Formats: sequence, structure tokens, C-alpha cells
Amino acid sequence: MAAEERAAAIVLRASDYGEADRIVSALTREHGKLGGIARGLRKSRGRFERRLEPFSHVMLCFRRRPHGELVFITRAESAGLEVYEPGDDLAKFALGAYMLELSSALIREGSDAAGAYDLLAGALGELCRRGASNALRQAFELKLLRWAGYGLDFSCCRRCAVGAGEHDLRFAFVVAEGGLLCERCRRASSTGAQALAPISLGQLQRLTILPIDAACAEPAALADAGGAINRFIAYTLERKLRSLAFLEAMLPASVRAQS
Amino acid sequence: MSDNHRGIEGLPPAMTRLAHELARLPGIGEKTATRLALVLLSWPRERVIELAESLLEMKERVGLCASCFGLSDCATCAVCANSGRDHGIICVVETPADLLAIERSRSFTGAYHVLHGALAPAQGIGPDDLKIGPLIARIEGRPAGSVREVIIATNATIEGDATALYLAKALKPLEVKTTRLARGLPTGSDLEYSDVATVSAALSYRREL
Repeated sequence: MAAEERAAAIVLRASDYGEADRIVSALTREHGKLGGIARGLRKSRGRFERRLEPFSHVMLCFRRRPHGELVFITRAESAGLEVYEPGDDLAKFALGAYMLELSSALIREGSDAAGAYDLLAGALGELCRRGASNALRQAFELKLLRWAGYGLDFSCCRRCAVGAGEHDLRFAFVVAEGGLLCERCRRASSTGAQALAPISLGQLQRLTILPIDAACAEPAALADAGGAINRFIAYTLERKLRSLAFLEAMLPASVRAQS
Repeated sequence: MSDNHRGIEGLPPAMTRLAHELARLPGIGEKTATRLALVLLSWPRERVIELAESLLEMKERVGLCASCFGLSDCATCAVCANSGRDHGIICVVETPADLLAIERSRSFTGAYHVLHGALAPAQGIGPDDLKIGPLIARIEGRPAGSVREVIIATNATIEGDATALYLAKALKPLEVKTTRLARGLPTGSDLEYSDVATVSAALSYRREL
């Protein structure tokens, strides 16, 4: 029998299986994204001190199976880890669910995901302490995209490198380019171009650089920037995230503009 | 033929097929399914026909109650049709199984409303996928004040809590008293062996004696 391993984990997805089992996808710092089955979870509060549901932050004990993709989750303990409970506010819940789904979509099993774990843990902590805001949403999106290798640069034109804000040029985010194009370089035929206001460009740059806790205190970039990031994520994943519609209903544009 | 449907050596194909069908049921693995198939084979023909007919009858007759969306074999379920129950109190549950759990307690004599799920945005389940609209229409369709209380009995999970919060918000304009099931220590449990979250909830939801 394989040795039992332990890792702090954030549950990204969970679905009931059979009478009392649950299949769980969780992000760990040490082992990246793991898929596992917790046998008898819905009946045993002894072995599973914490329920394994989305947002659960637990010390996961598991054994690897020689030929199986899913690990056997043997126990889940609180171990003093920060508790994320966004269920007391719908905007918090919606943004948290979106963060989990985006993480699940961008992180592949087997990849080193310590950076993504730290980012998600930090973002969920800020979400539960300070509430939902578009600054937090945008900072999380930009940082997770960067971690996944899609670092978006809002400082200059990707073609001619002219700096944003120079020569009174207007800039647009072009999804297929993965960055900004100035009006001189942007061909009229470019698809998926989203014009960005100078204030949004400056704010996106700040949100990219600042740590997540400091980014939360910043004003969010305007709705144009939100639209550009949305389009880029949908382009990268080749689908829209399922939690997006609920998030946009719970975190309305007026709140976004103020935050 | 896929691996899942490969015949089990020593078992005739008809039994293998039955075992595979039984193994689709929750909590039934391949071994148990094979054992059940062997038991069914040993039954008299009449009893097997009775079982097959009861399965078909259930599938053909059981649907959802037009009012509460609980399970029913006619337009209105037995609970909704029962004039002896208090229809001024509606208990909102996630699934028909939750309704049965409350009925088993024999401590609730009001009506029900089954949502058929809870908010789970990452699985694409939003408010429109639940029976929230019909609940509001049901209350609005009754004379003002006739529904005195809505008890939200969604699960004590983050998704259940968020669903309860959404419902409370949606019901607010209707000016109906909205309550949530209490949570805390299970009856007969030792405080010493309770987990942190349960003790914390029990303290938060304590009541005056």
C-alpha cells in the first residue's frame, strides 16, 4: 500500500458519487491539482472533520493508487488552516465560485502549482475579509493568467513598443495578440479589439504589479478592461466560464465602477 | 464493445447485461451487481415480473407535483392535497430526499417546496435552474398574508447557505417571515468529539432558555 501523504488543499470542485462517496478536485501547494475520491465522506465525520466542498481549506491526507488517476482521500482535517466561508454574501459567493472555476480551468494536474495555490489562498482570504470587488477580481485574473504563462502587458504597444499614454495615442486590447495595440498598428480588421480608456490602462498595470492584498484597496479598472480580460479568458479556454453569468448578476457594473 | 460492457467470464450475456445495468445504481459495484443478478435469477418468474412492472410503473406514473415540485403520481401530491396540513408555512428543501427526511421526523405539518438543487455557479447552476420562480409565483398567487412563514431548509453547505441567502433576498418584497433551519450539535452527540465547525455553529445559533 502506498504511503499516506499530507498536503494543505483548497477544494475546487466536488461531486457526490454513489451513496456516500465524493469525488473531489483540490489544489495543493506541494502536489499541484489533485483529483481524489473520499470514500464514505457523507457518513463519516470522524475521518472528515471538514466537509469536502468547494472553498474547503483542509489538510488533505491521501494515498496514491498504482494505476488510478484519482487518489484515495483518507482524511481531511482543519489543522488550523484559514476558513473560507463566502456563503454569507452573494457577491462574495459568486466571485469565489468564479475564482475556483478559473483556477480549475487554468491549472493542469501534475503541474507545479505552488504559486497558483498561494495566489488562490490569498485571494479567497481577502474575499472573505473585505468582500467582493472588481479590483480583486481583475487582480486575481491578471495574476493567475500570468502564472499560467499568459502574462498580459498593458504598458506598451505589442508591435511598435510605443508606451501607453505617449503621443496621445489611443490603445485597444486585441485578444488574438494577447496585448495592446496602438491605433497606428491596429488594423481595422482586427477582431476582438476592445478600446481601453487611459485610466483603465493605468489601473490594469497597477493591479498586475501590486500584491493581491494591496490590489484589493485599489479602484478597479473600468468595465472596458473587465470586458477585455473576459474576452481573453474565453479565447484562451475556448469557452465561457459557467460561473460568469452569475458573477455578473451579483457584482453589477455600478459596483464595479465604484470599487 | 467497451471495457465496461465486456462479458464476465462464466456469466451468460443476459446476466452480464443485467449486472452492468444494476452497477449503474448508487452504491452498487460490479461484485454486488453480479450477486444481485444471481439472486434475481433464483427468484420465481412471477416475482421478477412484479419487480419489472413496478419499475416501469414508477417511471411512467411518478412525476412532479405542480405546486411544490415534490414527487407525485398525480397533478397534486398528497402533502399539497392534504387540507389538514398548515399551508401557511412552506418549508423549502433542495431535493425530494430532503423532503422525506423532514417528513420522517414527524415534526413538521406545513407544506413544502422542492428547489431541485442549490446554487452552484461553477457547475452552471444559477437561480433560473432552480424552482425559485415558481415558489415566488406560488406565494404571490395566494391571498396576501396566507403564507405566514417560509422555512429555508437548504443544506448546511456553502452552496446551501448561498441559496438560502438568495431566496431570502428574493422573498423580501413579499413580506413573508423567512427563517433558516438551525444548525449545531446533533442530538445525542458529545461536545468533546464535535468538530470545530459544528461547535462554532452551535455557539452562533445558541438560543435563550
